[in-house]
Amino acid sequence: MPEENVNKQAQAGQNPKDEEPRIGVYVCNCGGNIGDVVKCDMVAQTLGKLPNVTVAHSNMFMCSDPGQKMIADDIKEKGINRVVIGACSIFLHEQTFRRTLERAGLNPYLYYHVGLREQVSWVHHGTPKEATEKSIRMMAAGIAKARNMKPLEPVRLPAHRHALVIGGGVAGLRSALDLARRGLQVTLVEKSHYLGGRMAQWERVFPTNEEARPLLKRLIDQVLAEPNITIHTGAQVAGAKGYVGNYTVTIRQQPRGVRGTFPNEQGVMDVCPIKQRCEFNYGLSTRKAIYRPYKECVPEGLVIDWEHCTKCGECVQVAPEGMINLEEEAHEFTVEVGAVVLATGFQPYEPFYGEMGWKEYPEVITLPQLHRLLDDEGPSDGKFYWNGHPVRNVALIHCVGSRQVEGVHRAQMDGEVNNYCSRVCCTASLSMASLIRQKAPDAKIYEIYEDIRAYGRWHEDYYTRASKNNVTFLRYYAEEIPEVRRADEKAENPLLVKVRDHLTWGEEIEIPVDLVVLSVGMMPNPVQDLMEIFKVTPGSDRFLLEVHPKLRPVETAVNGVVLAGTAQGPMNIQESCAAASAAAAKVSALIEQAKVELEPYVAHVDPDQCQGSGECVKVCPQEEAIELKTFSENGRTFQRAVVTPANCNGCGVCVSVCPNRALDVQGWRLDEYEAMVEAIAADIPAWEGAA
Amino acid sequence: MTARVDPQFITELKKYGEVTIESCFNCGNCTAICPLSTEETPFPRTNLRLVQLGLCDKLRESLDPWLCYYCGDCSATCPRQAEPGEAQMTMRRWLTGQYDWTGLARLFYTSAFWEVGSILLVGAFIVWMFFLFAGPMVTDHVALNTFAPVERIHYGDWVLAAFLSFFLLSNVVRMWWFTVAKDSKVKVPFSVYVTEAWNLIVHFVTQKQFEKCDEEQKGFWQKKRWRNHWFLVSGYVLMFVMVVGFLPWFQTDNIYPIYHPQRWLGYYATIVLLYGGFDILWSRIKKEHQSHRFSHLSDWIFPILLLLTTISGILVHTFRYLDLPLPTYYMYAAHMVVLTPMLVLEVPFGKWSHLAYRPLAMYFHAAKAKAAQLQESLTTAPAAAD
Repeated sequence: MPEENVNKQAQAGQNPKDEEPRIGVYVCNCGGNIGDVVKCDMVAQTLGKLPNVTVAHSNMFMCSDPGQKMIADDIKEKGINRVVIGACSIFLHEQTFRRTLERAGLNPYLYYHVGLREQVSWVHHGTPKEATEKSIRMMAAGIAKARNMKPLEPVRLPAHRHALVIGGGVAGLRSALDLARRGLQVTLVEKSHYLGGRMAQWERVFPTNEEARPLLKRLIDQVLAEPNITIHTGAQVAGAKGYVGNYTVTIRQQPRGVRGTFPNEQGVMDVCPIKQRCEFNYGLSTRKAIYRPYKECVPEGLVIDWEHCTKCGECVQVAPEGMINLEEEAHEFTVEVGAVVLATGFQPYEPFYGEMGWKEYPEVITLPQLHRLLDDEGPSDGKFYWNGHPVRNVALIHCVGSRQVEGVHRAQMDGEVNNYCSRVCCTASLSMASLIRQKAPDAKIYEIYEDIRAYGRWHEDYYTRASKNNVTFLRYYAEEIPEVRRADEKAENPLLVKVRDHLTWGEEIEIPVDLVVLSVGMMPNPVQDLMEIFKVTPGSDRFLLEVHPKLRPVETAVNGVVLAGTAQGPMNIQESCAAASAAAAKVSALIEQAKVELEPYVAHVDPDQCQGSGECVKVCPQEEAIELKTFSENGRTFQRAVVTPANCNGCGVCVSVCPNRALDVQGWRLDEYEAMVEAIAADIPAWEGAA
Repeated sequence: MTARVDPQFITELKKYGEVTIESCFNCGNCTAICPLSTEETPFPRTNLRLVQLGLCDKLRESLDPWLCYYCGDCSATCPRQAEPGEAQMTMRRWLTGQYDWTGLARLFYTSAFWEVGSILLVGAFIVWMFFLFAGPMVTDHVALNTFAPVERIHYGDWVLAAFLSFFLLSNVVRMWWFTVAKDSKVKVPFSVYVTEAWNLIVHFVTQKQFEKCDEEQKGFWQKKRWRNHWFLVSGYVLMFVMVVGFLPWFQTDNIYPIYHPQRWLGYYATIVLLYGGFDILWSRIKKEHQSHRFSHLSDWIFPILLLLTTISGILVHTFRYLDLPLPTYYMYAAHMVVLTPMLVLEVPFGKWSHLAYRPLAMYFHAAKAKAAQLQESLTTAPAAAD
């Protein structure tokens, strides 16, 4: 249990072997990165004269095998029990050297790393003398800290071998399947009543031109066949407690209201008096308050839209006995999980009223709507018709809701415009142009773009195909967006699109069309509640933010919460699945061993000093990281602060407010700081280059 | 002015020849490689774009297609195989059809039936003329001027010259109207027409735009296309002047000595026409030059008629010198049957018309540039004074 860990930790900190510090100092040349500026030999020589420094070496590459061997040999042969290395950044090789120490039988935390490259040589390359002096001071401070260092152990916590995947779209499904196949239990939570998410609404998908739903069905079937996966549709996360390895998540599930399937489903839907906008068709058609999300949806069967159902009971009359229960209530339950995958997906950008004629003219639709329109199972059975007429002239306008320019485009609620590229829409538009060409060989198709970014493998083919298929391209200026307006009543085509065309040396071009398709970008699904529950943060583009875009691309700053798919940013299906698999790999590496290991740099209470003032609890920014607990000893009852290491991020705010100096952050104790400050401010020992 | 797109236009243009510029993605490589394109007239990119969007009014008002001499570098460099060079060739045909108010040019370019049929019709008309107006055939010696009295032929020449001048000149006026008069950006004052007139003469006589078109070679003799074209034109003009201006001197039953200009001028013209005609046909058959990879019917008809005219002319000459009366007369009639449609149809309504449009385009272009320069100096003058 965590408490036991803390005690063990405390013991480790309190009772170091009272041995004399024997410090090994190593100055890395970094192949000239440091050595060309800093006189590494001089630094080593100078530091070698300091008390407790047993050996001081410089070397071309400390991270190389000979470099590491030098440290290991010194530990074994010369009894070195503290190591200070001046080298590159801690982010690059801290783990390398920790393992070196471990292999040589030394506690890996008895090592201090000074960033001579980033903090000295790279920033002071014009002044080698001062750079050398600064290196000596920084490393002298490291040595001062090393004298006071105590061995530490990582915080080890038991973890549930159970992951929660939030979102049943293609990313969530992929992640769940990967996790389950690694032997982990998976709970998959999907807000809607069917699996597949946005992908189910596409007609076909690039770059293979496969039909989206059969492709999705293959993935769903695999997920359904996996015994380790428990699926909850119509369900949302209502709350969570705990930390990495040990989350207790509350899930709230809406009932379907309908049990299974039965033959007379159409008849049941027919009698329902309530008509609603069909979300699946993006409002191109209507549905009833009891409806089937789409033809081959999983799980199958009808669903009741509780928000709009009046419980008139008409459907119950027509349906077989006991199949429909209008009195079913939402219920809550909890799951214990070790990690969470956020696969909450995106929503298409919703243009503002009048933005390129949106809502102002019925002949303006969005790209997702076009997908529904061209879908054989869509509202027009796949015929390229609008308002009952075949569409002969269609303009697809790119970058609607993407790559917006401040001052040109209207900002969202948060005052920001969508200045990011949504990445998929270019190729999606081009692939739609090909599909239109198939369905309406004589149609005039215009692609009105700012830039074509068909970046992926085979994406460019769509561009080539479109231009060979007589699709006319016009390029507008970023600051001058195309204008859509109503044509004269007598005109053959209802709309006119006006573009100032880059490619025709800025000529104003007017295009008569029957239909305008806005190639809308991606916006993250609104997951404010989940962000609060799991303490994850969005980027300025409102998508969930990773720790590092390159080195840790699917992890959030919260350990145990990872991202999959378009919750993180615009991605196509291929990229979503890749991200989902990466997320699954991260989660399984974290909890597969049923335990998690955390850095020991957490707050530590000295129970002898603590008076139970509770100041620390008041200022702690983390939830449940530090609390007052009541103890009784020899008939006396008192309160003491107790740290839950898993929840502590080692910020040290508690240390600064403790009136009794009973708190310290392990590995960064106040006495260590004091020694370092002393050493930095001290006169540095004489060195040859100083004169 | 807002221009309205017309994606059907490209279909219309395809009737005039090979057009594959749908696949053009406006990269501008063609314009970058073009030795004749300038910053002010960045063709062929501009032309291609006009066609892609179907802005035919703007294309009609453009001189750019005439500024291209089809070296074919654009087609060779095009990353999309959009054949910009051939597209401009097609545009020139289309423009010829636009300048021609009779509609015949459009008919001939877009219909093989009308193109060939009209040649046959004019040929038949000439045969009929011979039946009506030919003199007696003297059979004991060659008396061409008795069979085809030179005064009558010369009279016919003048009718023919008047006919083709009228149509060609009226089309030229239309070309000026579209490309210069209708241009709202620049007004060309009369004085500029006068000062820039030398362009017309220089380009007609030298065809020096070809020079820049063959950048790799140096000098007139090495620049094969320019050289061959120049000789062909020189022979053609010489022959035309001799036949239309000096027929009594040229068509005579006297046999002059070899050093007489009538002989060697005629031989010179014949040789270059023969060589030129063969050269064009051979090159088109072999598709050896970029500009000869695609051949429209009009591209074939023209050298074929030229060659037939030349060969029949040579045969007339040979039979006369061999003193074979009947073959001379029949061959003379055949010569006229081929030559007349070539002049009557090809000069005002066909490919031949470029002899006027090409130098005129250079002239109009220079005049417009000069006028624009004058306008610029007028508008910027006050600013400079500040």
